[in-house]
Formats: sequence, structure tokens, C-alpha cells
Amino acid sequence: MDDPQQPKLTPLPEWEAETARILDGVDYDADLGMRMARDAIRVSNGEMTDAEFHEKYHEEVLAEFGEDERPTKPEGFEDE
Amino acid sequence: MTNYGLVIDQERCIGCQACAVSCKQENNVPMGQYWNRVLTEGGDKIDTPAGGYPEDGQEGSLDMKYQPTACQHCENAPCVKVCPVNATYTRDDGIVEIDYDKCIGCRYCMAACPYNARVFNWDEPEHMPEEGTGDVSARPQGVVEKCTFCSHRVDEGLDPACVVNCPADARIFGDLDEETSTVSKYIDKYETNQLLEDRGTNPKTHYIRGEMSPGRPQTSDKLESELDDVTPFSDGADDVPSDPDGSGGDGASGGHHSIDDDAVPHVPSVKSGGAD
Repeated sequence: MDDPQQPKLTPLPEWEAETARILDGVDYDADLGMRMARDAIRVSNGEMTDAEFHEKYHEEVLAEFGEDERPTKPEGFEDE
Repeated sequence: MTNYGLVIDQERCIGCQACAVSCKQENNVPMGQYWNRVLTEGGDKIDTPAGGYPEDGQEGSLDMKYQPTACQHCENAPCVKVCPVNATYTRDDGIVEIDYDKCIGCRYCMAACPYNARVFNWDEPEHMPEEGTGDVSARPQGVVEKCTFCSHRVDEGLDPACVVNCPADARIFGDLDEETSTVSKYIDKYETNQLLEDRGTNPKTHYIRGEMSPGRPQTSDKLESELDDVTPFSDGADDVPSDPDGSGGDGASGGHHSIDDDAVPHVPSVKSGGAD
């Protein structure tokens, strides 16, 4: 049941450890992925807006991936 | 607008894993990976109950519940919001899907999914037989993949493979935005819950617990929304055949289900002499 390849319900207290395991060895910034994942849940439950989420990570995403095609982009938002 | 969703009756689920197997077969899921499986709530390991046998006159009981789990196709999908290349996206009909040509394998979507419903192709996908199975092409190494509600089947007017192949009729697929659809009626009538509701993801998979639904026999490979044109005894999807075979009786005698007035059969009974 600890195999990250196996779909299962992630117990909330174990979220950080589970996420760290998923992102371990990733070719991209694992810390950015962890922070974005946490905030994406906050967007889902209404603690943060799509626009706030997009703006918060836009520059980091652009620097890491060379593009930012997330659907959270607010209307009128200007790319760098 | 169509908004597809799934109802799973956990009182009906018998934990047979037919949904998991048919998903794997239909979607050409590589060896060692699962898009869909039935977890168990009970003991420390899967398929083990909590508690113990009564021994030597002592008290004892065993308890285990089945928890079918796959991508929940969330309305507020965190996986969609974090994808930097928009490889994970929500279709107009509500199905969350991955464009494998765009996926760069960053696994941010896996980190954001509260249900751990996604899998990553660490290695070159291995299939048995080598040419693969089902009607979906293999995904390349280095991409994330997951349940699609069998969108390739839905696009053809067919129910997902897991729905069609559930021997317990525990799965019902349909349009959540259509008031007369069976999924909508079941959600309205029965006590249902979504997984991790406090996360605000609003999954499109709803689970029935507490009272067993009448189920809906999967007698044909046809999507519910396509049924209007083929129902010989009904001009509306909300009509229920009280005696579709003309045999009289109470409706439960001719089949293995008792269908109440709120249940919509998947398709009408096959006419005598029809191909099966």
C-alpha cells in the first residue's frame, strides 16, 4: 500500500511524506511542485483564487518550464 | 451542458475487482499499474478484515468494506490547476483527461491529486500480450496517466468498461446535469458521499452507503443518454418499464433485480429472438 504507483486514498496527515515520495527524483523543481500542490488544494476549497494562485507561481513556473499554460490565468494577465 | 459522473453503490460492490480488470484490459494499462481498483477498509493490508474470529468461546467479529477508487474527475481539479503545460485538462463534458503528447512528466499533478489516482510510467510500458489490449494506444515512458471515464467509449455512445462489466450493478454512469438521469436520481434519493469532501474538489464520483440501491442491470453496451432512440416502450429516459416483457408479475420475477419507480433500467429487455 505504500507503493506510489498504486491509487489509494491519501491520509491527510501523511500528505507531505506521500507527496515528497511522488516527487522524489523528478527532473523538475520538487519543492515548487510540493508548494503548488498544496496551494492548488487551497484553490479547490476556496482559500485562494485561481488568479492569486496563477500570479503567485507564474514567474517560478516560467523559469522552471519556460512556459506557463495553466488554465488559472486570469483575464488580462500579461505574460512576461 | 453534459456533465458526466459516476455513482458507485458500495452496498452492492462485492470487491470482485472486475472493474479493475476490465479497466486494465480496455485501456491497455501497463503491467504493474492500475487506473482503477477496489481498496478495502478493514485490516492492515488490502483484502484483510479488521477484528478476529471468535475462538474458544470468546467474542469476535470481522469487518471489511470495499472502496472502489479511481480518478474522481473533480470539478475543481487541483491536478488541472498545477499542470504547467496544460496537458491535464477538463473536457467540456466534465471528464478530466491528459494529453500525453503534452505531458512532460513533472508529476506535479500526482502531487496535487488528493486521491492518488494517477500513475507514472517510470519505465517503458510493458503489456501482456505485447501488442497491448483494448482500444487505447499505449502511453510512452515518462508520462502520467489515469482513468478517463473511458472517454473513447463515451465518445462512441458507450458506458465506461468498468460500468458495463460490474457483475453487481454497483456502477452507474450518466449526466449529472440531467435531472432525469439515473445518476441524478440516485444522488437525490440515496445517501451519497464524495471522497475527501472537505478538500472542495467536488468529485464527480458519488458513493452510495447505508441503503442498497436497486441497481441497474447492464444488459447492453449503450450509454444512457443514447437510449431515447432505442427504447420501444418509452418516450423518455425517466419512464420505467413496469412490465417490459409482458409477462405480468411484480417486475422482480423476470430478472435479478427489483427496480423501483425511481430507477431507470440501462436498456430495455431484449426482445425475444434478438441477438444477445
